[in-house]
Amino acid sequence: MEQSLSYDNRIDSESSDQVVNPWEVSAKDGGKIDYDKLIDRFGCKRLDESLIDRVERLTGRQPHKFLRRGVFFAHRDFNEILDAYESGERFYLYTGRGPSSEALHLGHLIPFMFTKYLQEAFKVPLVIQLTDDEKFMWKNLTVEESERLARENARDIIACGFDVTKTFIFSDFDHVGGAFYKNMVKVSKCVTLNKAKGIFGFSGEDHIGKLSFPAVQAAPSFPSSFPHLFPGMDKLRCLIPCAIDQDPYFRMTRDVAPRLGYSKPALIESSFFPALQAKNGKMSASDPNSAIYVTDTAKDIKNKINKAKSGGHQFSVVQHDLGADLEKDIPFKYLSVFLEDDSELELIRKQYGEKEGIMQTGDVKKRVTEILTEIVERHRRARAAVTDEMVEAFMAVRPLPSMFE
Amino acid sequence: MEVDKKDEREAESSEQVVNPWEVSAKDGGKIDYDKLIDKFGCQRLDESLIDRVQRLTSRQPHVFLRRGVFFAHRDFNEILDAYENGDKFYLYTGRGPSSEALHLGHLIPFMFTKYLQEAFKVPLVIQLTDDEKCMWKNLSVEESQRLARENAKDIIACGFDVTKTFIFSDFDYVGGAFYKNMVRVAKCVTLNKAMGIFGFSGEDHIGKLSFPPVQAVPSFPSSFPHLFPGKDNLRCLIPCAIDQDPYFRMTRDVAPRLGYSKPALIESSFFPALQAKNGKMSASDPNSAIYVTDTAKDIKNKINRYAFSGGQDSVEKHKELGANLEVDIPVKYLSFFLEDDSELEHIKKEYGEGRMLTGEVKKRLTEVLTEMVERHRRARAAVTDEMVDAFMAVRPLPSMFE
Repeated sequence: MEQSLSYDNRIDSESSDQVVNPWEVSAKDGGKIDYDKLIDRFGCKRLDESLIDRVERLTGRQPHKFLRRGVFFAHRDFNEILDAYESGERFYLYTGRGPSSEALHLGHLIPFMFTKYLQEAFKVPLVIQLTDDEKFMWKNLTVEESERLARENARDIIACGFDVTKTFIFSDFDHVGGAFYKNMVKVSKCVTLNKAKGIFGFSGEDHIGKLSFPAVQAAPSFPSSFPHLFPGMDKLRCLIPCAIDQDPYFRMTRDVAPRLGYSKPALIESSFFPALQAKNGKMSASDPNSAIYVTDTAKDIKNKINKAKSGGHQFSVVQHDLGADLEKDIPFKYLSVFLEDDSELELIRKQYGEKEGIMQTGDVKKRVTEILTEIVERHRRARAAVTDEMVEAFMAVRPLPSMFE
Repeated sequence: MEVDKKDEREAESSEQVVNPWEVSAKDGGKIDYDKLIDKFGCQRLDESLIDRVQRLTSRQPHVFLRRGVFFAHRDFNEILDAYENGDKFYLYTGRGPSSEALHLGHLIPFMFTKYLQEAFKVPLVIQLTDDEKCMWKNLSVEESQRLARENAKDIIACGFDVTKTFIFSDFDYVGGAFYKNMVRVAKCVTLNKAMGIFGFSGEDHIGKLSFPPVQAVPSFPSSFPHLFPGKDNLRCLIPCAIDQDPYFRMTRDVAPRLGYSKPALIESSFFPALQAKNGKMSASDPNSAIYVTDTAKDIKNKINRYAFSGGQDSVEKHKELGANLEVDIPVKYLSFFLEDDSELEHIKKEYGEGRMLTGEVKKRLTEVLTEMVERHRRARAAVTDEMVDAFMAVRPLPSMFE
C-alpha cells in the first residue's frame, strides 16, 4: 500500500536519523544506510527472488547482476509491469541525470548500465531526461554552462550502449514546451505548496524555481508528454529505474497521476554505491577520493582502491582466524556490484570473508582494480567514439518506429 | 522609488485590496489611487509627460492620457528620453483568457496599446495567459487554449498592425529562450518574497507559485529570439491595469540581477462597474459591465437601469444642486470614451450645475458605447482563423520599427 505522502522530510529533525532525499543522502551517525527502514518509511516494496525469477522467465536470459546481487532491490508496481508484459503489453523506460559536473563516477553509471539491460531484455523504448534546468537552479551555473554539461553527460550516457532506434535523450532547456509543458502545469495544479514542502523539505528561503521543478521531473512519466514518440498511446505504462533517493519525486507523481487520468509510473530502485572510504551514504562527485571516475587512469584506480576502506585485518594471522568483515569491506562490496561471475564472487566471499580463508585484502583489491579498470577503459573507448552527430541523433525530436522490436 | 511592500491581506480587510486576483475598495467606497501609487511606489503621469508625448509623436495624445485613465507609470520618462535619442522600445501587454465574454474594461489596455503602437511606430507582443487561467480556474488545458484563440480575435479586432504584432499563448509558446528566462527569473525570487508580493499560502498549488516568472519574461527581449535577435538592450514598455503592478515590481527587482533592463510601465485605473460597487467591472456579473457582444438594446437597458447616477432624486432638487459628478457613472464612462474634450466639458458643466438631466447624459453615453461596441463587433466578425494564425505565427517582424 502506498505510504502516505505527508510524512515530514525535515532535515533539522533528522540530524540523528538517516537522510535520504534527492539533495542529501547520509546515514545515521556516520553509519550505514538502513535500507529496510527506508523501504518501510517510503512505502515501496522489496524486490524479491520470485520477481527476479519472473524476469528471467519473461526475458529468456540471465537477470542482470544488479538484480542478482540486490543492487536494484526495491520497487513500486514492477509486478504489474511484468503482468502487463506477459499479456503482450509493452511499457517504456524513463531515467535521467542531473548534469552538475563533467566528472561522472561509477555510481552514476549504475542506473544507465541497468537501464541498458532492461531495454535489451524487454525490447522497449527509453527516454532519458537531462535536468539542466534543475542544475542551473540548484547550483551556481549559468544556463549555457548547464546546457553544455548536459551535452557532455549525454556522451557518457550514449557510451553505455543504448539503442538509438529506441532511445530519446533530451535536455529540459531544449525540450520543455508544448505537450510536456501542459503536463507540467497539470501536475503542478495537483500539488499544494504544503505538500511540496512536506515531500521535498523546501523552505521560505528557497526560490520558486525549486518549487516548480518537481513537475518537470514528473512529466516524463506520462506518455502524452512525448507526442512524437507515443501518439495515441496514452495508456502505455512507464517503468523508472533510478536510485532510491529519487523516490520522493515519483511518490508525488504516483499520487497525482490518477487525478489526471494517467497510469502511475512503476519504479525499480537501487541502493547507493558506497564511497571508497565508506563514509556517509554514497559517492560524491565533489569529493574526488570518494569515487572512481570514468576519467581515472589505471594507475588512479589502483591507487584509489589501495586506499579504499578495508574489512580485512592488518595481520594475516588475525585475518586467517576471523576472515574479513565483509560488511565493512569496500573492495568486496565493489566486487559484488561489478564482478559478473557469481561463482567467482562466492569463492572470494568464502576465501576472504570466512575464517581460514586464504585470501588477503591485497588479493581482493587487485581483483577489483582489474575489473574496474576494464569497465572504465571500455567506457572511455566507447565515449571517445561518440561523435556530435551521434549526440544529435539521440537528441533529435523524431518518432521511433521500431521502438518495440 | 521602488519599494518592496507586503500585501498583508489580513491587516487590510478594512482597507482597499489591489492585486491581480482581487480589486476592492475600502468599505465599498472608491479606490484611493493616491494611496495606491504611494503604496506601490510608482509615479503619477503628469501633464508634462503628456505634453512630451504630444511633441514626440506629433499628434494629440490619446483620450485615455488626456482624461487620466492611464495615470501612473514607472520609468515612462526614461522610455521617452531614449525615444528622443533615436532608441526605440517594444510594447508588451496581455490578457488572461478566462471567458469569452469581454467587456469594455478589457478593451481599454488594448485600445491604448494600439494607439501607442501607431504613435511611436513600435512592435508589440501580446501574451495570452492560458496556462494561468488553467491553473486558477476550473478549466482544462484544451478549454483555456480555446478561450485564448477566441480572445485573440477580439484583440485583433482592436486594430493592431500584423507586421508589428506577435500574439502568443503560453501553452503554445513556452519553451526555448522563453523558458530559460522563466527559470532565470524563478531563481531570483524566494518563496517568502513571492508569498509577500502575491499573497500565496500553503494551500495554493505550486503551479500558482511558478506562474509569476511566466508573466515576467515577455519583459525581456531575449525571450523572443525570432523578434529581437541581438537586441538585448531593447527596452520594454508595459501598458496594463494597475492591478498587474505586483508582477512587474517583481520583474523590475529581478532584471538588474540578470543583466537585463527593467521594463517600464504605464498603468490605468479601473473601469468602474455600472453600479459603481467595489473596484472594477467583473466578467462574472453581467449587469456590472457592457460586453462587446451586447446589442444596442442591451446597452440602452443596462445604462438606463444599472448605471449609478449622481443626479438628484427629483428634477427640482437636481436643478438646484446639480449632479454629483464624483459618483456619477455615466459621466465617468463618458470621460473614458467620449473623444471630444469640449463636449465632455460642456456636459460636465451643464450636468454638474443642474441644467442637464441624467436621462440626457445616459442617452449620449448609450450612443457612444453603442457605436464603439458595434464597430468592434464588425471588426471581430471580419477576423478569420487565418488572420489569427498570422498574428500568432512565430516569425520575424522585419518592418517592426517603420
